[in-house]
Amino acid sequence: MDHDTLSAVVEGVLLTSRAPVTAAAVAEAIAEESVTGEHVEHVLSELSELWSGAGRGLHLERVAGGWRVVTPPQIDPYLQAFHGLKARQRLSQAALETLAIVAHRQPVTLPEVNFIRGTNSAAVMRTLFDRGLVRLAGRKAVVGKPFLYRTTKDFLVHFGLDRIEDLPEPESLVQEDSTLAE
Amino acid sequence: MREESTQTREGTDERPVLPVDLPAFSGPLDLLLHLVRRNKVDITDIPIVDICDQYHATLRAMAELDLEVAGEFLWMASWLLYLKSRTLLPTASEEGVADPRAELVERLLEYRRVKEMAAVLYEHDVVRRCLWGPVLEPTMTGPREIELDWEDVDLRILALSYLEALQRFAVANPPPMRVAPLRFTVGEKMRELYRRVLEEKMLPLRRLLRGRGDAEEVVTLVVAALELARLGGIVADQRRAFAEIYLRPGARTLDVDALLQEGIAGGS
Repeated sequence: MDHDTLSAVVEGVLLTSRAPVTAAAVAEAIAEESVTGEHVEHVLSELSELWSGAGRGLHLERVAGGWRVVTPPQIDPYLQAFHGLKARQRLSQAALETLAIVAHRQPVTLPEVNFIRGTNSAAVMRTLFDRGLVRLAGRKAVVGKPFLYRTTKDFLVHFGLDRIEDLPEPESLVQEDSTLAE
Repeated sequence: MREESTQTREGTDERPVLPVDLPAFSGPLDLLLHLVRRNKVDITDIPIVDICDQYHATLRAMAELDLEVAGEFLWMASWLLYLKSRTLLPTASEEGVADPRAELVERLLEYRRVKEMAAVLYEHDVVRRCLWGPVLEPTMTGPREIELDWEDVDLRILALSYLEALQRFAVANPPPMRVAPLRFTVGEKMRELYRRVLEEKMLPLRRLLRGRGDAEEVVTLVVAALELARLGGIVADQRRAFAEIYLRPGARTLDVDALLQEGIAGGS
């Protein structure tokens, strides 16, 4: 397969994939000895560079261990207008806190989340679950056998993280001044 | 507390002064952290008496505004009161007594970390929501095969898959059709009707049908009557629509048993 065809295939795969695309998966689909994961990775970085310039409505990002094509944020208002999108639902403060706890302490149970937040988070957890941001990861071997929760791949995609380790450590975020002032 | 508030309202126009900003707190720890910050005090050395009073004042304000105060807020209020009393009581020996605030401080510190993390996620969320990814038309995706990472397979998805498999199995293996035993036959009813028509010379069909509660029997009787009329064994008369239908012997004399054996009555 020549370079132009490979480039076209990769572009096509990106445009038709909702989930992040890995170079290995593309190479496997092409199934030609001359095309390796490194070749695909190379083409991907070429595309990434090509689309990174100004005046492009496409952008290639590394997320959740793969590549995904997205639009740059600055054209969002026009896309919203074009698609007739009125308002977006944001994640509530409670939802963000619950997600933060799950992301940082996973696997974690609901009672643990409740204790840290000092309030019942069952409904919030349910919402996150329905949105596919958290998943069940078995049960904890304690009294009551509560479910354990973890974040999903969609969580990484939504928050633009390549790996969960890319989240900053909470300790690094807390500055004494910020709590004394405000 | 209610009486107190109505009194102030009725008396002068002096309403209790409400704190100007009463943001929605996501929990009692959120409110407590807010108070600590507003007072610009060190989180590890909280003036428990002041903070406790302010906490209760805020709860009262929330009640004034008819905001629903969840039970967790009240639980925290009682904990603060307990800590306040512990602080005010003189302790026998100053040495070796653990600070009663230690657990509260620990929980506040932990909650502050969570809030910081939540703030980071919020920043991401705000920006990331403005990105648009590929949207696939259902026709393009073909048969619905969801792309799943093995690590995203959880109990719920397993349960759904199980239910789907059960449904597919039910579609592929439908339960065997149940054939109800034939309780009434047209032939038997023809015999019965014809005999009675010959005997009684005039048989009111509607009255006869009304006496039968079983829908299947009624249908069989009507079909039998129609069949007998077709063969000319009986004549059916009705004066006007919805009036009684009278069955009388027809021009031909039928040997119902013979007819049935030849299969004429049932077949055509």
